Amino acid sequence: MATKQIERVIAPESKHFVGDGFLVYNMIPGSSGLTMQRMSPFIMLDYNAPYYFPPSDKPKGVGVHPHRGFETVTIAYKGKVEHHDSSGGGGVIEEGDVQWMTAASGVLHKEFHEKEWSKKGGEFQMVQLWVNLPAAHKMSKPGYQAITDAQMQRYKIDEAGSEVKVISGEYMGVKGAAKTFTPVHLYNATLKAGVSATFDLPATYNTALLVIEGAVTVNGTHKVPANNLGLFANGGETFTVEATTDSVVLILSGEPINEPIAAHGPFVMNTRQEIMEAFHDYNIGKFGYLED
Amino acid sequence: MSDNFRGFLEQKAGLSEEQFIEVTAHLRTATFKAGEMLLRQGDVCDHTFFVEEGLLRLYSISDNGREHILQFAPENWFVSDRSSAYFGEPSEYFIDAIEDTTAVFLDKEFLRKVSDASPLFRSSNDYLLHNHIRFLYKRVNMLISDTAEQRYLSFIELYPDLTLRVPQWMIASYLGITPESLSRVRKELARRNFRKD
Repeated sequence: MATKQIERVIAPESKHFVGDGFLVYNMIPGSSGLTMQRMSPFIMLDYNAPYYFPPSDKPKGVGVHPHRGFETVTIAYKGKVEHHDSSGGGGVIEEGDVQWMTAASGVLHKEFHEKEWSKKGGEFQMVQLWVNLPAAHKMSKPGYQAITDAQMQRYKIDEAGSEVKVISGEYMGVKGAAKTFTPVHLYNATLKAGVSATFDLPATYNTALLVIEGAVTVNGTHKVPANNLGLFANGGETFTVEATTDSVVLILSGEPINEPIAAHGPFVMNTRQEIMEAFHDYNIGKFGYLED
Repeated sequence: MSDNFRGFLEQKAGLSEEQFIEVTAHLRTATFKAGEMLLRQGDVCDHTFFVEEGLLRLYSISDNGREHILQFAPENWFVSDRSSAYFGEPSEYFIDAIEDTTAVFLDKEFLRKVSDASPLFRSSNDYLLHNHIRFLYKRVNMLISDTAEQRYLSFIELYPDLTLRVPQWMIASYLGITPESLSRVRKELARRNFRKD
């Protein structure tokens, strides 16, 4: 099988606050060339690299806002996030957990540092990824998959703790916990220094890796340091990731959704008309109501 | 010169490239940070601002310190205080940026030049003036006769994306209702229109 080559290694640019609780690098679509079309179905990736939030009695976060037309995937590495939505749902995303929220036809939600965690403060580290939905499912019923760390299956590489945690899709026969609307492989690989893992993903899938901790070498040639994103070319299937130091790497690979994208703020649809409908529906309360 | 403004002039004045350069050569474009002031009460402002990108608001501050928003100006909108820009009087109002904003400063010289160059602009400008007066009538009528819900429904018709760009209290201020009343309206609309299934 042909090697999937690294096309570019992309360093993070400037950080910005989302609300007052998330200090993020916007890697997709903020990095040059990483457009929604190029990275489809991954239309947005915000990375909150480790950042210390001092204790706060008033939890920091993002107030009530809507989403329509895609899914938000929150991967918690450090810290805890509490969320509430307009269907009356809510919960806490703990360290190691993944929340896969299907906004689809529309939700209103808010996300804040969990109350008790906020009071103590601490190191916070999270990824939020937006996965696009195909036209046929953009107006489906919203839903949640609250996936705890324990519920996710691992492919064990060694006894020292190197493993690939499968969030969605499949790796070496190990199936991911999250259900997806189009094929999406999302893995969290923990690799001890010197350990390598090999991945085999379809040539046509848009594929990237984000180094969460440590530093890795891909295919023996490309060094990808912490907080950098390695973008793969759309050709070849196999690549290897070797940890230079103890590392954590998020690997994302998905079948492109070849449909037009009309995006405006928290709405990602196929046409401008649908964006206008989204604003209207939000304004007249079709997404429900949620107190600030 | 900026894209939105160029588009606007193309549509309303149909100028040749040469004429466009001629009428806009002296115009200034400036960028303002969110919160920055473009006009202060008491100043004479001889410009009308065309919003290329971002969001401005025109407002007054009453004796009790409360802000009253007369107009929001997102992309492709104009905002000015005519008592100042046309009549040369000190302004009673403030204009500031709600978001980082790029604005084109239009003045009387520009109006004269573009009117001389384009009969189409003269009629377009006339239309815009009447349209603005119509808008003001509607706004006066709304403020003296409409319920809070009717006011909100007119607002989202006119400014479909502003509910996601400005804080609730500013929308309430524009509508002449309290933030609590706006909350009640939105809650009630959600009660009628939200389907969980």
